[in-house]
Amino acid sequence: MSFKGYDKKTFIADAARDFASRSISKRDFLRKMGMAGVGFSAFNLGLLGNTRPFRGTGLIGDAAYAQDAEMTAWLKDVSKPFKGTKIRYTSEATPPTVVLDKLKGEFTEATGIEVEIEIVPLEQVLAKATQDVQGELGTYDLYYLDQSWVATFAQDTIDPVQYYKDKPDLAMPGFDFEDFSKPLVDGLAVYEGKWAGIPFDIPIFCTMYRKDILEKHGIKPPTTVADFTAAVKMITEAEKGNGMYGTGLQAKSGHYSLNCDWTQMVWNEGGSIFTKDGKFSGNDEAGVRGLETYLEWLKNAPPESTNSTWDGQWQMGASGQAAIINSWDEFFPGWDAADSKVQGLWEISRPIQGPNGLRPAADAGFGEIPNWGHQGGSVLGLSKYSKNIDAAWLFMQWACSKDIMVRCTLGGGFAPMRVSSFADPRVKAKEVVGPGTTRHLPVVLDTINKDMASEPDMPLWAGFSNNEIPVELGKLITGQAYDGSAKACMDQIASLIDAKVKESGLL
Amino acid sequence: MTQVITETRQKWQMSLPRFLTAEHPFPWLFPASALMVVFGLYPLFKAVESSLYRRNAATRKLIFQPEFNWMKVFQDDRVWDALFNTLLYTGVALTFQLVLGILIALLLDSDRKGYGILRAIMTLPLVIPPAVTAMMFLLMLNGSFGVISRGLIAMGLMPHNFSILGTSSTAMAGVLLAEIWQWTPFMVLIMLAGLRSLPKEPFEAAAIDGASAVQVFFKLTLPMMSKVISIAVLIRGIDLMRSFDYVKVMTDSGPGTATETLTSYAGRIYFGNADFPYASTVALFTLILVILTSSIFMRIFKVKL
Repeated sequence: MSFKGYDKKTFIADAARDFASRSISKRDFLRKMGMAGVGFSAFNLGLLGNTRPFRGTGLIGDAAYAQDAEMTAWLKDVSKPFKGTKIRYTSEATPPTVVLDKLKGEFTEATGIEVEIEIVPLEQVLAKATQDVQGELGTYDLYYLDQSWVATFAQDTIDPVQYYKDKPDLAMPGFDFEDFSKPLVDGLAVYEGKWAGIPFDIPIFCTMYRKDILEKHGIKPPTTVADFTAAVKMITEAEKGNGMYGTGLQAKSGHYSLNCDWTQMVWNEGGSIFTKDGKFSGNDEAGVRGLETYLEWLKNAPPESTNSTWDGQWQMGASGQAAIINSWDEFFPGWDAADSKVQGLWEISRPIQGPNGLRPAADAGFGEIPNWGHQGGSVLGLSKYSKNIDAAWLFMQWACSKDIMVRCTLGGGFAPMRVSSFADPRVKAKEVVGPGTTRHLPVVLDTINKDMASEPDMPLWAGFSNNEIPVELGKLITGQAYDGSAKACMDQIASLIDAKVKESGLL
Repeated sequence: MTQVITETRQKWQMSLPRFLTAEHPFPWLFPASALMVVFGLYPLFKAVESSLYRRNAATRKLIFQPEFNWMKVFQDDRVWDALFNTLLYTGVALTFQLVLGILIALLLDSDRKGYGILRAIMTLPLVIPPAVTAMMFLLMLNGSFGVISRGLIAMGLMPHNFSILGTSSTAMAGVLLAEIWQWTPFMVLIMLAGLRSLPKEPFEAAAIDGASAVQVFFKLTLPMMSKVISIAVLIRGIDLMRSFDYVKVMTDSGPGTATETLTSYAGRIYFGNADFPYASTVALFTLILVILTSSIFMRIFKVKL
């Protein structure tokens, strides 16, 4: 794999590999990095896991799509009583939020309603929303709700479908709730029969691979867990000297990202997090087998995996450190961005499947849906404590309208929530390698429709998935406790969670 | 004109109650007192009040149950692990900062040309926000491309494919490295100020008597610096016991709970589980611990502030 014979796009990865294997001097390495324009910014703060894998200007596609004229006219007309109002919400730096933050000026121009979006790390979004609802303060007019929090906050939001009916004078013509993908509505937005919000973001697990590396080693794209495990072992063995590992993981101890990886492993082996009687079941045979497979994958991932969240995992793909990744589809546009060194080298397929089939959702607890593709979506919820409910409602409809969803997708290349957006000619036209690519979306749509898995819908889940589970898993994977025993780790998690569920009165 | 202004002021002051006039201490104390009430006492009372409630995570109901969280603190293994980590963190960082601080201060305690610049350079780490320092070290300790990691690998002190911050046995050392790098200059500054304030006569007498440098240091410098050292230890000790930034940014208390301190645990309960009452209780427990240890320290070392 000499540099000359290799694609220029992998220049940095090659240089890093050569330096790691001491084939080139540090001076040469720095000179090459300088030529490639790599500075500290390349290893940006995203490594901290505070941001989602969405890369700045190189990723943004064409944004020169004007706002729909009919929409503008309607907004102008309906918003007159709210002119001068200011609405606020807080969100993680998800791709749609980042793009929406750029587009929101159009809404303000048409309505006179100012919109302030506080973009902060995920755990701060949760803390701010929790404080707001605990005190019923109404500081935020809208809530960005990660899928794992929907059950917690459902009681604090207004059902948008009902509000649409109740306020016909403010109802956006042709908003069309039926256009939202049904699996997303069921798995993400609806809790106990009520819409907690409108689906806004849907990262979902898919299997992504470097086709050049797989071809080089004569490996077929994996479709099963066994294929995946065999492939990552083979690649690590062959390429480790070059600084490349079979896979990359988001196994940061104590972080929600580790929880996401783990839940997928449990589902892959035919297990579930809870049984239908509400008992934690990650410690059953399937759950333990899933975790053991994960430990095997970890041996074939860069050492920084145990200190990386989704952003670090994306970096592993971008820097040529990982060859196959089973993770968020929204990594994909970043790898195809204009400034990417792996542009066009990654391919995507539906997520790998386990050997034993899936545990039926009816046998799992708290609305959990075991499947092959872990979804990490979010909804925009309308706060019932807001002092500007109607102004916020107008913004929410605008942000989730067909036109804006398509434009957000075009701006960031991530999956839309609406079925119609997938078929939009503008979206289809960008199914090519390049910035803002949508070439992964057909696979994503297929995954949403056929493979979408959802974590449990329970008020305590936000805490479990951010504390007990990833902390204890972290102890296991970094050797702090359990002496490598997946079963011992799972038993400890089971005892912690079962006690808390019982204490809260959910059982 | 001046007379008119003076008369007007006198009239205006006459109409005010005495405690609002410039002669009374109240107006002078009011701004600082108000700040203390708003940012110190009020949050403290709210934390105490919060700690007396039990929160049901499912219903979000707060039930008045004063003993619940305090009993939980003493039964929670993670609190004791975090306490151990806090004391370890404080002890190691303080020892390194103190020893290095004294040594560097002795080296820089000179009026020769260029030493002023050296002293100024020495203070540079202090102007960097701790979170930024933590990010810098996070990158430098990265197992794949971090300059420190690569240096250790090149020297044969660390194996390839090893993550310092991602391994439970080494993560604390990685975090401490950032802490020590940033705050040693603070110790240097205090020690330098102390050294410069020492009287010259005892040192001149020791020189005449032919005392060695080591004898001078242990028999004169160190005893005469004891008050300065104890105050520096007290200030840094209190800071270290409530340290949060480096742990949060570099390891987020991990791997597992290997770097979890009392403050970072309180943060995780607050931000992760939204259990405000229990988080307040852990924070208050930390406060009590800091007050107790600093009081004992002040008594033993006869520190008067």
